[in-house]
Amino acid sequence: MAQIEQKDGGKKKKGAQKKMAIHVDFTPMVDMNMLLITFFMLCTTMIKSQTLQIVLPTNEDVRKEQQSQAKASEAVTLILDTEYNGDTPKVDPETGKTIHNIYYYEGVADTLFQTNKYLRKEQFIGNVNHEPQGIRKILRDKNKQVMEEYQTLKERWKNKEITKEEFDKLAKKNASDSLKTRPVVVIKPGPNTTYEGLINALDEMNINQISRYSIELPTHTDTLLLKHFEQANNETIIRPTVRQTASKATAAAAAPAPQQ
Amino acid sequence: MGKVKIKRKSTLIDMTAMSDVTVLLLTFFMLTSTFLQKEPTIVYTPSSVSEEKVPMNNVVTVLVSSADKSGKLDDPTVAEGKLFISFTGDADSTLSSENIRGMMLDEAIAIYNEQHKNNQVNLTPAEKAQFRSMNMFGVPFTELKNMLDMSVTERDKFQGNMTDPRVGIPIDGNKNREGRLNDFQIWLKAIYNVAQRINNEQAAGLSPEERANLSNLYAALMRKGQGIAIKADKDTPFTTVQLVFDNLQTMKLNKFSLMTALKSEDEPTK
Repeated sequence: MAQIEQKDGGKKKKGAQKKMAIHVDFTPMVDMNMLLITFFMLCTTMIKSQTLQIVLPTNEDVRKEQQSQAKASEAVTLILDTEYNGDTPKVDPETGKTIHNIYYYEGVADTLFQTNKYLRKEQFIGNVNHEPQGIRKILRDKNKQVMEEYQTLKERWKNKEITKEEFDKLAKKNASDSLKTRPVVVIKPGPNTTYEGLINALDEMNINQISRYSIELPTHTDTLLLKHFEQANNETIIRPTVRQTASKATAAAAAPAPQQ
Repeated sequence: MGKVKIKRKSTLIDMTAMSDVTVLLLTFFMLTSTFLQKEPTIVYTPSSVSEEKVPMNNVVTVLVSSADKSGKLDDPTVAEGKLFISFTGDADSTLSSENIRGMMLDEAIAIYNEQHKNNQVNLTPAEKAQFRSMNMFGVPFTELKNMLDMSVTERDKFQGNMTDPRVGIPIDGNKNREGRLNDFQIWLKAIYNVAQRINNEQAAGLSPEERANLSNLYAALMRKGQGIAIKADKDTPFTTVQLVFDNLQTMKLNKFSLMTALKSEDEPTK
């Protein structure tokens, strides 16, 4: 293969040089290529990052009358919390994932604790055997009408009746269809929530096609509910903020900027 | 007894085919590769089902450093919440990443000097050239000159040291858009101003439809919400990330994206 055979055209003439088969050794070439491949393999990113789009309201003061009030029957409030083990988030030894808890209530906060449904605890479980579990199941049940339509749209897209663009457009329209009963979700990340907890919550909004949601900070009412829940269930939810030093670090970073 | 002669075979293996294969593989890797951008610290983003890709051009990435995970520090949280910014321009040569960085730097320094008249930052052309070639930076304006005077290796070492209080763009709680801005807000303002200026230049003499179809940083910022991407670690506390959100809200850049890794809907979250 690598040798070039040269025909000597029949008879050998006397005194003519004997032609040698030229044999090129490719081993160093392969060595070098392998090195280059290794280099490129180590330096590349094959998977590109994904993004989650988010739109926040302005933080200018909006007068109470101008704020849109959600119907109590549609509102769901999720208070997020991440379990900590000392200084680092607690990890489930089986799955290797951080444990996030969600305390949720529907409608207006029941500060009189008349029913035992004033606060319920859930977790992000996702799907088990293609069936939604945990908080996903609860949100899906709340958004049943939209999800039913969404499933038929998805079916049509999978059967190639509509293109991906059409599907996206229709799904968006479906998610914000005011004729359907849709929940309004208020996500309240508690002081110990990690970024992953927030992303998980936003992700559930995407999965369950919930178009109306907002991110707010927990109020005193929420703390009250959590406190009561703690006592009733013998749990500790409200802990001193684990990462108090974090704010110190940012303050220190800001310090060298001289003030005039 | 006559000896049985065993014909000795040459042990030479023909490597040509092997070489062909490796060259093919090499070509594949060279064509598909996008080089890892140098970042001062490693963060592991959380995962979501969102399938939208991070855009290749016209994006400003804000990196939020995570707590130290090596276990070498007594207080791992000192390394947390430091901000770094990187600019990526168009593939277009006039608005390449280098040029965009230069424009951002000029604009940001102009705003800074306007606000800090007694403490101005003046960079030499050589220092500006250094800035244009840098992917990611994260120092206060007061440290900018010092950092740009370093050699590349020194600079990487300096910016990679998360415990150094001089590293990280300051982000204290100013909530007034018209007041004295913090360093991060100055950069955001510069981003907005430059994006708007470029947009105005490009939109001049175009019909409204063409104007709506312009794909530049301004469109990404204002319409699609893809202009700013926040990259934070999954274990970063929400309070740290919220500070960044807050600053973006103050500067009226309410639409932005969060960088995540991909997971499927069926994947258990717990």
